Amino acid sequence: MSFDAELDAKGLNCPLPILRAKKAISALSSGQVLKIIATDPGSVKDFEAFCNQTGNELLSSAEAGGAFEFMIKKS
Amino acid sequence: MTKRLSAEERRASIIKVAKRLFAQSGFHGVSIDEIVKEVGVSPAILYRHFESKDELYEAVLHEFSATRESYIEAVVADDISFEQVLRGMTTVFISSITNHPDMLKMEMHSQLEGSEASQEFFLNRWKSFTDYIEFNLTELQSLKKIKPINAQAAALIYQGIIREVLLQKCLQQTDRFHDTPVATLVDEVINLFMKVIEPARV
Repeated sequence: MSFDAELDAKGLNCPLPILRAKKAISALSSGQVLKIIATDPGSVKDFEAFCNQTGNELLSSAEAGGAFEFMIKKS
Repeated sequence: MTKRLSAEERRASIIKVAKRLFAQSGFHGVSIDEIVKEVGVSPAILYRHFESKDELYEAVLHEFSATRESYIEAVVADDISFEQVLRGMTTVFISSITNHPDMLKMEMHSQLEGSEASQEFFLNRWKSFTDYIEFNLTELQSLKKIKPINAQAAALIYQGIIREVLLQKCLQQTDRFHDTPVATLVDEVINLFMKVIEPARV
């Protein structure tokens, strides 16, 4: 999947990855995609809740090798 | 005569009693015998659900992690200044501990007992704050928005004051802060903390 910006939030506990994602998304244009990599297991639920509340679209959420990868499309 | 419980209900009832006893006396202060006596079952039943005391202890921690604090509200708000988010996160954390004081008691016991699982679990909860503070103070400094400060030490100060507020208000319930609601005390200590982080004078 292609993306327009990438955020490495490995090793950081929530809510910091969410907060950094929020800032990164605000720099994107509508329809652009942000890829986020995080290691906090809580980030799975948190990014779901974040997208529900902000209206941005969670395109995918996947786990690979102990890290979690999220693709979020700006609304 | 005790009602027959499903395996799931039985497991939950054991965890509930274990939580209370571990909070009261720590991991080493409680025996499996005491736990089964309070639950009203035989040790064989307990071992059917949990292989060892370690496994039961970890199940209690796991249950706490299911009540994990959600800081989403604090970060989706319009005002996401360093101070506002910190206040929001702290409010969530404080109310979570106020609702589960057993968690704080187990944390205090774990500090002395040194079980790897529990230390990691409780450290990880504080890490939300220390990560948040360290990252943001480092960033604010590089943007020259605040005076140079040791971000790691600042995070430690914060962890220390919040933990002490919780100890005073949730565990010791001393007369000293009897008339000050926990929310007021938290507000005041954050006010002081924010004074440490002086904006740079340009």
